[in-house]
Amino acid sequence: MNRTFVEIRERRLSLSNLGKDLYPSYGFTKGRILEYYRRIAPFILPHLKDRALTLKRYPEGVERDFFFEKRCPSHRPAWVKTAEIPQDDGERMTVCLVNDLETLIWAENLASVELHVPLARINFPETPDFMVFDLDPGDRAGILECARVALILRDLLSRMELASYVKTSGKKGLHVYVPLNRKETTFEDTKTFSKAVAAIMQKHYPDLVTAKMAKKERNAKVFINWSQNDASKTMVCVYSLRAREKPVVSFPLEWRELENPAGLDDPEKLQVTHSEALSRAEKKGDLFQEVLVKEQKLPHL
Amino acid sequence: MAVQGIWSGTISFSLVAIPVRLVTAVEPGRVSFRLLHKKDYSPLTRKMVCPKEETKVPRDEIVRGYEIAPDQYILMTDEELESVSPERSRTIEITEFIDMKEVDPIYYDRPYYLVPSKGGEKAYRLLVEVMRRTNRAGLAKFVLAEREYLVAVTPRDGALALTTLHYSEEVLPEEDPSPKKEKITADEESRIKKSVKKMIEDFDPGKYANERRKKLMDLLEAKAKEKAPVEAPAVEEEEGEGPADLVAALEESMRKVKEKR
Repeated sequence: MNRTFVEIRERRLSLSNLGKDLYPSYGFTKGRILEYYRRIAPFILPHLKDRALTLKRYPEGVERDFFFEKRCPSHRPAWVKTAEIPQDDGERMTVCLVNDLETLIWAENLASVELHVPLARINFPETPDFMVFDLDPGDRAGILECARVALILRDLLSRMELASYVKTSGKKGLHVYVPLNRKETTFEDTKTFSKAVAAIMQKHYPDLVTAKMAKKERNAKVFINWSQNDASKTMVCVYSLRAREKPVVSFPLEWRELENPAGLDDPEKLQVTHSEALSRAEKKGDLFQEVLVKEQKLPHL
Repeated sequence: MAVQGIWSGTISFSLVAIPVRLVTAVEPGRVSFRLLHKKDYSPLTRKMVCPKEETKVPRDEIVRGYEIAPDQYILMTDEELESVSPERSRTIEITEFIDMKEVDPIYYDRPYYLVPSKGGEKAYRLLVEVMRRTNRAGLAKFVLAEREYLVAVTPRDGALALTTLHYSEEVLPEEDPSPKKEKITADEESRIKKSVKKMIEDFDPGKYANERRKKLMDLLEAKAKEKAPVEAPAVEEEEGEGPADLVAALEESMRKVKEKR
């Protein structure tokens, strides 16, 4: 195995196979993945901090098998921060917390192309910091239909005096986040609220929206997946790379980018690639910053 | 591809340090089942319930207590537990070489193998060979998954096996399990000896399969062919719209959104 040693904040890391192409159709090596995460670190780290990381590893590249790893690998360096979480069977599981650059680089060296995190932090596992609407298009729908749904959703939420933020999923969909950041709000609350919102959206836009999980219900519609509002669920972290043919990122958008469908003849235009992600983040800062700090209360609960 | 291993580090004694990985040597052949709700086949989950309040207890309200007498507990926090946990370490340090025959098998816990990592092959072979010739086992302490184990490292078919050992306090005090001594006649003894001799064989574990496991797997396979598996319902789906106030407010907001669009 090809090894390279680097030192980050006096911690020595052994990186392997940096020349291995993990996006073979596009040409993007593990070394470049590490470089992407090194540069995006100031933006992604606050969103990963103190959340139980799920690694989605692609040791043979994004076109081959992957596996999810919730348990923090036992061969981790001693300085990797971990936490213990209780599981259904009463056993405890050790999970990784990515709170610093060295841990991020270590995780990426395991070919963890995608980083997924829960909606709650490790110390308050029953308290989601935000409510999410995972907009997932059916086979005959795409990101443009998701954009329409996202805009209606934003207007509806704003009538309820809730600010919302949107990011690309990096696959076909969009993710709408509603910051809460109040310790009184539970997953039960966010689930009740998001489910009612999805139902009302389906009722008023039956040709565009479904609130049902079943694949056959989706078709040309957008599935509003409210059931992600659960302690056991994870979402792909904002600024994480996605495993598609080319290295695109789950990236925050400004609402006005969805408002002007004229420039949206090509749905791929809404996707943000690794290089664009870096230049946009470095220029505009973190558009998802408010998601971690803005306090909002869900009304009528 | 090489086996991953559940731990990697070095095995060392005096000035020698050999990079190795630890791999499990046995896997218990237990067949496990999920418990389902008979009515709809939903998999059941465990909930932590307070019998006093009859409610589910959220995680941040759960603490750990050590029972010292009925209904009397000493509380213990995560931090306190961590303060007494051993430091994770990357070495298996052999502190003495012993004769494995002196170790009562009752102390054996779980068997593993140590596999040499890159660069350690030569020193590894040397250690195996020396241990085989001197017929010695290395005794070491080593930390795995936040627990400190006493282990014996023995040569085995050109490789190193590692067996975790019970600590002496884990082995239950000897309340002599043998029956009271009674007089045995020479005749009785020779009769038993003869029957034992007739049954002497070489140990061949391959002769014994886990019969229940095999029958169980066969049964499962046959049943899977015969009939489609039952399916758990999707978790969501029920139509409920939510609290009346919220639904009314959403309807009102939706009306305004539609007006404006």
